[in-house]
Amino acid sequence: MREGMSRRRVLGIGGALGLVAATGLSTAAALARRPSMTGAVLRSAVPLPPPFQAPLPIPAVLEPVGDGRYEITQREAVAEILPGLKTPLWTYEGTFPGPTIESRRGRPITVTHRNELPVPTVVHLHGGRTPASSDGYPTDLVLPHGHTASHAMHDPRAVVTTLTRDYTFPLDQRPALLWYHDHRMDFTAPAIWRGLAGLHVVRDDDEDDLGLPAGDRELPLMICDRAFAADGGLAYPALDPALRERPGVHAAYLGGVLGDVILVNGAPWPVHEVDAARYRLRVLNASNARHYELAAVTDDGRPVPLVQIGADQGLLAAPVPHHRLPIAPAERYDVVIDFSQVRPGERVRLINHLGADRTRDVMAFHVTRRAPDDSRVPDVLSTDLPTWRRSEATTVRDFSFRAGHTPHGRGWVIGGLPFDPTRTDVATTLGATEVWRLIADVHHPVHLHLVGFRVLSRGGRPPLPHDAGLKDTVSLRPGEAVEIITRFDGYRGRYLFHCHNAEHEDMGMMANLEIT
Amino acid sequence: MRRPSEWVFRGVVSAHVVAAVGQPVFAGVYLTGDFDGLRWHAVGADVVTSIGLLQLVAAIAVWARLRRAWPFLTTSAVVVAETAQYFAGLNGALWLHVPLGVMTIAALVVQFIAVWRNPLARTENGHA
Repeated sequence: MREGMSRRRVLGIGGALGLVAATGLSTAAALARRPSMTGAVLRSAVPLPPPFQAPLPIPAVLEPVGDGRYEITQREAVAEILPGLKTPLWTYEGTFPGPTIESRRGRPITVTHRNELPVPTVVHLHGGRTPASSDGYPTDLVLPHGHTASHAMHDPRAVVTTLTRDYTFPLDQRPALLWYHDHRMDFTAPAIWRGLAGLHVVRDDDEDDLGLPAGDRELPLMICDRAFAADGGLAYPALDPALRERPGVHAAYLGGVLGDVILVNGAPWPVHEVDAARYRLRVLNASNARHYELAAVTDDGRPVPLVQIGADQGLLAAPVPHHRLPIAPAERYDVVIDFSQVRPGERVRLINHLGADRTRDVMAFHVTRRAPDDSRVPDVLSTDLPTWRRSEATTVRDFSFRAGHTPHGRGWVIGGLPFDPTRTDVATTLGATEVWRLIADVHHPVHLHLVGFRVLSRGGRPPLPHDAGLKDTVSLRPGEAVEIITRFDGYRGRYLFHCHNAEHEDMGMMANLEIT
Repeated sequence: MRRPSEWVFRGVVSAHVVAAVGQPVFAGVYLTGDFDGLRWHAVGADVVTSIGLLQLVAAIAVWARLRRAWPFLTTSAVVVAETAQYFAGLNGALWLHVPLGVMTIAALVVQFIAVWRNPLARTENGHA
């Protein structure tokens, strides 16, 4: 049979299919989020202030009430975050962020939390090597006065207290920037959003002796995004605005809640006056769902390198310079920035390459004067990083983090299952070394309680430069797989691992880790 | 067999379709949480891309021996698409990777039908 079609028809069909393909691909290019982003932006209903006006607040350091004893009252407070607006918050000690706890390696502390909020609370020290009884399991509620426990999810192992609870932290761990935040079952995301987060620093003599920038030249930077309602309050798309019974957010925000105001230490797009010297920035992304890719640039566009010296769980072996530093929710980076090449009077902006419009700006440093600088960044920062090898692993586990169904409707699941406090998802023994292979459908920053881990591979290839060191949260991007290795040591008991997109976490994306 | 270049081309196109159909299979397995699926998907990408280049060589032979240009032109388009597909996958650009993958397979299926439906060689009495 000869070809049944004329040349004209073949060209016509080919042209039509080509047009369909071109239209399809350009539609994908136009509709897709590039860079990709998981979550939906909640827009503020109030005018937003210009950037780089508010001074950078430094959270107060909490004074102990006795040897190794601290007290924190969780209470409602009102703060002026945006100029001229009163914003009601849930706070630790009346401030957002809460007061910073300064502690020393191996010196245990006890923090007595008193709940004067209208809802139950749970405190978790993120990154802490903490016995299970003080790790803030989501059902280990501290009930407010007069509140009767009527929690939807029944957990026979829950240890519920009324009004107060003592959390004991042995702090037998590498020096690092940790953070404490609310971890209540089903309502973690709105509780953090309303202000329940604070910093906790662990230090030791070895780190002090390195000669890193210190004192006024060490700045904690808790970065988070928020949105403001017309009355000045924080907007949040909760299904239950009282945050008592029905968990979850409106369907549009299933992927996570992103604000349009960037706060650093609770101030919108702040500015900080600095000397033309090295500074140590201890950066935490305390956002519920927003990822950032941080870069420092002068006003005339020159990049200023961010030299990473530490990860979630403390110092790296050696410094790693970055021009762009991606940071997912709950991740921390310890970086040194050198302003000595910046002329006094110039500004260095910290920008976010994943942002759009106002969320592209984070904060600014205003270099005011030349000053002596005896700090240094040693070539060797630490020699105590674990050297776990694949061959030591006794178990390899695969977990998929993806969208799925939960008892509350659509949500997020690990290995196909939504969180259930009564189900043991992983049972392991104290001292076991394991390789975990994590796979994501969209962005999932995966966090393990109790232990730090090292990243073995990302997308089947070697880890990226910012995966260095010991981590407790690893950022999976859409379709990405990461292999991590860890050793479950420290304490026996029931712990968690979960996605630290706080909305995903509330909507099922947690699992139990039982160490026996 | 009087037209070996035609039969080689048909064989390579057929192998190309089979290998390409494996790619969404491995991707689907991977996204259920099976880590090995990613390795199969990566190996598959190398295999599909290699077959694509073989097909280009076979298409050049068809053009030279049988004076037919369309196999070369369409194969070139497929090879360009597969190259873009390879790097889109490596870079995690899923907005491009997913639709381009579907379209590449559609193009291969059309090619498969075209090479098997009619002889590639010109008939004695002129051109189509």
